[in-house]
Amino acid sequence: MIQILSGIQNTSASLDAERTRLDVISQNIANAHTTHDVDGKPYQRRVVVFENELNNAMNGDTAGLSTMHVAKIARDSRPPTKVYDPGNPEADAKGMVSMPNINIHEEMADLISASRTFEANLAVVKNARSMAMQTLAIGRH
Amino acid sequence: MSPLSGIPAYSSGMMPRIAPLPGNDVAELPSQLPSAAPAAGSDFSSMLGKMVSEVNAKQMDASQSVNALQSGQNVPLHQAVISMEEASVSFQLMVEVRNRLMDSYQEIMRMQI
Repeated sequence: MIQILSGIQNTSASLDAERTRLDVISQNIANAHTTHDVDGKPYQRRVVVFENELNNAMNGDTAGLSTMHVAKIARDSRPPTKVYDPGNPEADAKGMVSMPNINIHEEMADLISASRTFEANLAVVKNARSMAMQTLAIGRH
Repeated sequence: MSPLSGIPAYSSGMMPRIAPLPGNDVAELPSQLPSAAPAAGSDFSSMLGKMVSEVNAKQMDASQSVNALQSGQNVPLHQAVISMEEASVSFQLMVEVRNRLMDSYQEIMRMQI
């Protein structure tokens, strides 16, 4: 296969990973007040861990480049925040409820960061395309 | 394969006519041109055919990923758009090759002999 837009696989992998990160952030925001996760405990914040990998592409010219992917979606180990809410059915004997360890401001900052990274990768795609089109215009007048 | 592969044979064939050496100016032309022309024809046409089929494969790939996206399969949006971009740029490349080819053909047709 001809490599028409060089380096686009890396960018595509990064776009994929950033999309996963955005999905995880939206999950965190959605579960900011979930006191019951699948294991019965309050929801723990999820964090995406990225990993670099050597690109084992078939064509020789991109063999040296490395790409990245989502290694795992880990749990944030910070303890849950205790909120005094005696009317809540989840409250303990002292009226304290364990709420998820999610800070909505932190999530919003992460959201902006992820969306800016996505944008940066889109700019790389745009640039690769314009480079290809300018190269095709060599000698045209 | 250079698209201008016929040119060196042609110009070297012309050379003795511009600076005539005694005796061999007419003998140069027929011996050089037939050897260059068949090789150039088969190689270039197969290269062009391969290129057209690769462009076609890219277009098929793009339409396949768009179809997969629209039918609700787990294809990321950016992947479909990037494959469409790749198809479009490789099509442009093919059109550009065709334009250069036509340009050189018309240049030759306009040549005064």
